[in-house]
Order: sequence, then structure tokens, then C-alpha cells
Amino acid sequence: MKEDKLRIGVFVCECGLNIAGSLDCEEVKKYAETLEDVVVSVVNKYTCADPGQNEIKKYIKEHNLNRVVVASCTPLMHEPTFRTCVAEAGLNPYLFEMANIREHCSWVHLHDRKAATEKAKDIVKVAVAKARHLKPQIEAEVPVTNKVLVIGGGVAGIQAALDLADTGYQVYLVEKQPSIGGIMAQLDKTYPTMDCSI
Amino acid sequence: MAEEANFKCLRCGQEFKLPYDPKAGPQERTCPKCRSNSVRRIKEQKK
Amino acid sequence: MMDVGRHPRIKLFVYSEVEDVSGYVGNFKVKVRKKARYVDENECNACAECAKICPVVVPDEFQMGFSSRKAIYIQLPQAVPSAYVLDMNACLGNNPIACGKCVEVCDKKCIDYDMQDQFIDLEVGAIIVASGMDVYDPTELDEFGYTRFDNVITSMEFERLICAGGPTTGHFIRLSDRETPKTIGFVQCVGSRSERRGNRYCSNICCMNTIKDTVLLKDHYPDIEVKVFYMDLRAFGKGFEDLLRRSRSEGVKYIRGIPGEIYEDSKTKNLILDVENTTTGEVEKHELDMLVLSVGVIPRQDGDLIQKLLTLSRTVDGFFMESHPKLKPVDAPTRGVFFAGCSESPKDVKDSVTQASASASRAGILLSSDRIKVEAITSVIDKDKCTSCGICYQACPFKAIVVDRKAKIPAEVIEAACAGCGTCGAECPFGAVTMKHFTDEQIFPQIDAILEENPQDKIVVFACNWCSYQGGDNAGMSRLQYPATGRIIRTMCSGRVDEQFILYAFSKGAPIVLVSGCHFADCHYIDANRWTQKRVEKLWDKLERKGIRPERLQLEWISAAEGQKFAKVMREIEEMRQKVTPEEIEHTKKVLSDWKPKGAKRRPKKAEVKIEA
Ligand code: SF4
Ligand code: SF4
Ligand code: SF4
Ligand SMILES: [Zn+2]
Repeated sequence: MKEDKLRIGVFVCECGLNIAGSLDCEEVKKYAETLEDVVVSVVNKYTCADPGQNEIKKYIKEHNLNRVVVASCTPLMHEPTFRTCVAEAGLNPYLFEMANIREHCSWVHLHDRKAATEKAKDIVKVAVAKARHLKPQIEAEVPVTNKVLVIGGGVAGIQAALDLADTGYQVYLVEKQPSIGGIMAQLDKTYPTMDCSI
Repeated sequence: MAEEANFKCLRCGQEFKLPYDPKAGPQERTCPKCRSNSVRRIKEQKK
Repeated sequence: MMDVGRHPRIKLFVYSEVEDVSGYVGNFKVKVRKKARYVDENECNACAECAKICPVVVPDEFQMGFSSRKAIYIQLPQAVPSAYVLDMNACLGNNPIACGKCVEVCDKKCIDYDMQDQFIDLEVGAIIVASGMDVYDPTELDEFGYTRFDNVITSMEFERLICAGGPTTGHFIRLSDRETPKTIGFVQCVGSRSERRGNRYCSNICCMNTIKDTVLLKDHYPDIEVKVFYMDLRAFGKGFEDLLRRSRSEGVKYIRGIPGEIYEDSKTKNLILDVENTTTGEVEKHELDMLVLSVGVIPRQDGDLIQKLLTLSRTVDGFFMESHPKLKPVDAPTRGVFFAGCSESPKDVKDSVTQASASASRAGILLSSDRIKVEAITSVIDKDKCTSCGICYQACPFKAIVVDRKAKIPAEVIEAACAGCGTCGAECPFGAVTMKHFTDEQIFPQIDAILEENPQDKIVVFACNWCSYQGGDNAGMSRLQYPATGRIIRTMCSGRVDEQFILYAFSKGAPIVLVSGCHFADCHYIDANRWTQKRVEKLWDKLERKGIRPERLQLEWISAAEGQKFAKVMREIEEMRQKVTPEEIEHTKKVLSDWKPKGAKRRPKKAEVKIEA
């Protein structure tokens, strides 16, 4: 199937005042509209919240978007959120790209609104540039071995092992010393309740 | 015995000696003055 | 503890260590070394006959060396498994002339001198790291006299001395004369909260531990005089303040001020402390029978192997770094790995248990699914462009590529094993590798987008997903301010940063390019960033040959926790950028004007090959 013409939507998030407090989201949005293949750009208060996500879905449908760029926070936080969101609107999740204008921009240039806005525009531009070349991807599935290894037989390892074993999984508990117990076993009483450690 | 080689920091310009073993492969190096990792080995001038 | 030994679904490997881990989320392969114990742990019924006869006496580590054990011993009476272990380093040997006495007395015949280390291969879907902590050794803080004075002990040693199961069966004594002390002091924050020596962080547990110790002492010896020397008392948890109140009401004195110097009275072996009481501002002298150093918690000193095997990273404090400090506090950055207990940060028993349960439930979510999806970011090799040179195979840290150089069979990627670092893509000289979702076709336009307008004002930054990019995030979360000239292109690993990206950026007028990635110990792709370093070193030479200042290509290893470093680097590089002259940039553009992407060079040749065939 030949790919249709690119139709990119850019969603600029204010994150309350986290982003809008130190750069001009409206200006970033207007700038995004001038970029090649961008058909629509929107400012949201909280893009990751339900209203924000619904707006993305709505625009995908109404404007027939086939690429989505969200300019907000770090992808480490919300890339999975938005991938799921665009997928729910029928888009391949890999046709989504994120522009980090919070951690890498608004939060680190709090006192220079102009420079921060210029940088945010560039960040969006870079993301759109990438978005224009995104390809749909199929994620491979791998089986999961439902056994677990716990490294360390101190109080934390013991608790984790018991919880998982009680849930029904096979647990392997590896302890370096000849006995489990760890540091806790060396303690006499433990605070705040003054009970015995073993 | 560890051999040493001359290194130069491409951030602050500091020159210094660090242990260097040509067989050991790449190492993480830090400039003792400015803590940068842009540390380049200065090779002997070959005529 | 006993429950673990009895649980039908827990298989316990004690006296064992993880040797190797391979695979990926859902499908880890683990090799465990079970060290030879020389005693069959299933047969041994802990009758202790062997230890009775054993002639070798060594200090008992469990009792902090206060008492001794034999070469064949049991770590603690309640040990799980309840079995003896033979310390081969101390044993005289099973030679009837040397010794061999224990073998004779063991009714169950479970002692076997020929036992070997065993290797066990396990397959698991998730891994919980509960590798614990070590305790700070106060030797370097010489002013407290830990090594010089008998009656200065650590809080760990205190635990053993007060414990009914300890070397003195709970009869609390001082070491110089085996008398129960009448006055005792505690010094807080030993090895913690110091800029100069020890560690900078608060060890979290020691305040409460001391308060507990004072209550214990008062329970056992109501007349004992107890003084606590502290900087701040941190009793913030549930029930903590109550315990502190109880301690105070039982007469324990809390004195704000850490002793500067401690002397010993050579006759009485009492300790004399000089303390500036920071509440009154006066210098006080205290004479005590005994002093306990409330030592801090430090990261496991043997944590490097686990860190390497599981590609974890550590914070500046040395504890393992979680995926997100607030939203994913028990997940490791490596998918399928979770933290419990002090391996992640110092914590007390309750917090350790809480985190362990959280961790178990996070792992449970993963284990409850039969199949999971892996991100489509693997590499694909174009058979037509590949010359079977094998370079990608050499570069791949996961050996996820098969290629036959002799038979000229083009390279192929094993998708399940490929972690998507992109090193093969950067190293392939023929442009035969496509990195899904981080393709050349995506990265070149990103460089273009940065440099289209006012390139002279911008710094092109390549940052890796796991460390340096997150270092940038960390700078953001901490609101560290730095100049707004950097423009980041994210790749999964710095190993992906192809020489051609850097040259292209310079040809488009970039004043400075920064390549950044994880510290060598933190690389999420085993050793992919060593290739980055090699590549950058080569490029420095290449740039110099072309008359371009190598300084304009900068290299930096920044961990996910090093927001400070990220901001500092951005500041420094901005200063460097300002010194790059327009003439210099023009010159570079000219020198590199004949630049072509690497696949391009190859194409004519491929046509030739086809004609031949
Ligand atoms: S827990 Fe208390 S004693 Fe321990 S380091 Fe922190 S402040 Fe100091
Ligand atoms: S490096 Fe490139 S050309 Fe060489 S074997 Fe790998 S894919 Fe083929
Ligand atoms: S992307 Fe990395 S892990 Fe995958 S095949 Fe290439 S070098 Fe190996
Ligand atoms: Zn330097």
C-alpha cells in the first residue's frame, strides 16, 4: 500500500505552568503550523490527561492525521502513554514522536523566555523532521518464562521471594552466605516496635 | 607495570599523563583538571 | 526466614553467586555458581558433633569477630538451611595425618571433601535485585579512635554484644575489662552526611537504630547513663517520635554536637570526649566507659558484577539507580529487573519489606503475561548492500548477528537477541544496516532541522536514551539552569552515533558537536560505548588532518543521575561555541563539501558486481 501524503498534527502541552510558565506555547504552536506537512497544531493544558488524549484522538480522526508529534515532557515518562493513545485512534504507535520541551527546555531556561521559546521551536522542528520519516513498525512478541530470580537473601529478598512464591510463581533465591538472613539476622531488636529480628 | 602516555583535554587544554596500555582497548578517561571526558591521547610525532 | 526454607515454590541456593546473565526481559538465562560447602545441606541435621571435634578456631564473622567458630561451622543457630558449612581455607584437610576428624564423627556421613563448585543454569522471566548493603568502616575517621581504643565499637558490634544470641549471651560488657559499662555514649552520623570523609548522604537508619539501642540499654540496665551526640535527630517515621520520647523519658541525654577528638585514659581505659555543644555553644568534656559509633550504610562493595551483568547504573552515592525516582521507584532501567531493599538506597527493615512487596508485585505483573511485546527498534541488514565483511558482528555487544565472511553470506540479525543499540549501524562501512525507528533517513533530517537557521548559534548534541538524555532530564527535574543553545538528538545508545552524522553536522555549519553516553560501567549495551569512544578518537585525528580543530567534537559520559554534570557540560561547551569563528565554520563547510553518506560510495560497485554475475 502506498503511503498517503503526510499529515502531521503537533500538540503543544502547557503542563499547567510547568511549560507555559517559562516559554510561549502559543508561539510554538503557530511556528509548528508553518512546518512542512504539519496540517494542524493545538495547545493543550495537560496533554497526558484524558481531555488532552481525547483531543489527540479527535484530531487524528477529523484531520486524518497520519503522524503525531507531542511537544511536552521527556519520552521516558509519557512516550508509552501517547503511543497507546495514537494506537487507540487507529494509528501505528511508531508514527508518534515526542518533543521534550519541559525537562530539556522550560525547566532549564526559567529566566529567558525568549531563548526558551526559540529553543522549543527548534525542538519541535527536529521532532517534526523525524516524524516525516517515521515508518510503522510491528512489535515482535516474546514469550515470558514465569519464574523469577531473587538475588540476595536478606529481609528484602526473603519478602520478595515469599510474595512471589505465594502468588504462584517459581522462585530461585540466591544468597552468597551459607544461610539466608542477611544483615537483619545480625540485629538484636528492630525499631520502632522493639521486636526480635529473626 | 603500567605504561603512561601523554593526554590532552580538549575542553580545558590541560596536558597530563595517564596509564596507557595499547592492548587494553578504549578506556573511560577524565581530565584531572576540569573532569571532562574529551581526553585525547597525543601521539608521538612521527617524522 | 523458616518459611523460605519450607516453601514448595522457593528453591534456595545458599553459598551461591550469580555468575552470568544473558537474555532479555521475560527470557533471562542465569548461571549460578553454588560454591562447594563440603557438607550435604539436605542430610546435615546440625547435630554439631563435627564442630565439637574440629581443632581449628577462627574469628566468627557473624559475631563481628567477638567470638570464635570452628573451621566447620553454622553461621547462626537459626540458619536456613539448617546445615553446617566447611571453611576450606581454615580446614587442615582430610588427610588422616592432617586431620579428617569431622568426617569420622559425622553419623550421617554428609561431609565430603571432594565436593566441587556446581554451576546451575536457570531460566527466568524477571530478576529482583535484593543484594543489600555493607556497613561503613570507621577506620579512616581516626579521631574517634575505633582502631586505637578497646572501648570504642560500632553500632553493628553493639547489636551482637546486646543480643541474647550473641557472644556474651546478651550480657552487655565493654571489651577492656569485661565489665558492664556505667556510662555509654553514641556518636551519630559516623561516615554519613560529611563533605570530607565517608559519605555525603544520610544513611537513614542510624538515628532510629541508636534510639532503639538506648531503649534496649535502659531496659536491661535501668541505671546506665546514656548520652547521644548528634547533628540532627531524624525521627520522621510512624512510631519513631514515640520511641524517641520514651528514650528521653527514660533519662537518655541527647547532646547536639559531634565530638571533635576522643582520648583514652590509659589506666581506666575510659574515654574522654571533647564536644562543642552547638545548642549552648560551649565546649564540654565527657568521660564515658564506652562509646558506640553509629556507622552509616554503604553500597555493597561487591556490587560491580551485578551492575555489569544486568546493565544497571548507580547514583553518585553508589546505590543502584531506579527507573524514575517517583513514578518507577522499584523498576530498574533494564526491563524485567526490579529492586528491593538497600541495594537501591539505605533503608530500614520496614521500608525494605515494603519495597520488596512492591517489587514482587511489579515483577508479578510481568510474569502474569504469557507474552510481551518488545520495542521495534532492532536492526535490519540490507542483503544487497552487505559485503559480509563481519565488522558488525565484531561490534555487536550481544553477538546478535550471524555472518559468514568466508562463504560471503550476508549478515543477518537475530531479532530476539538484538537490543537495538545501533552500534552495528554506525560501524558498518557500507550503510547496509537500518536501525528501526532510529534510521539514517530520520537522523539526517533532524540534523538539518537544527542547522537550517543560524547554525553558528547551536550545539548539536547526541544523547543516549539511558544515561545522558536522562541526565538532561535530571537537570530539568532539579531546575538546573544552563544556556539554551544545545539541541539534542536522542539515540538508544551513543554506539549509534555514526561518524557520518558528525561530519554531516560539521558540513552544515555546526560550530560544536557533543557526543554523550553512559559511563563505561553503566552502558546499557554491555560495551557499545567503547565503540563510540574509538570512533570519536578516530574522528579527532581525521578532523585534525582536514584542518578542523578536534576540540569542536566533544565527548562526555553522563549518567542518568548526573544532572549537575549535564548542566556543567552545557555551560562549558557554550563557552567553547562562542569562540568558534565564522571563518572557521566556513572553512569547515568547504573542506567537507564533498561529503557523501557512506551507502552512496558503495552503490556504483554494487552495480559492477551485478554485471559480473
Ligand atoms: S540517619 Fe541520622 S545518624 Fe544516620 S546519617 Fe542520617 S542523620 Fe545521621
Ligand atoms: S558491517 Fe555491514 S557490510 Fe559488513 S557484514 Fe555487517 S552489515 Fe554486512
Ligand atoms: S543493534 Fe546493537 S544489538 Fe542489535 S544487532 Fe546491532 S549491534 Fe547488535
Ligand atoms: Zn580539562
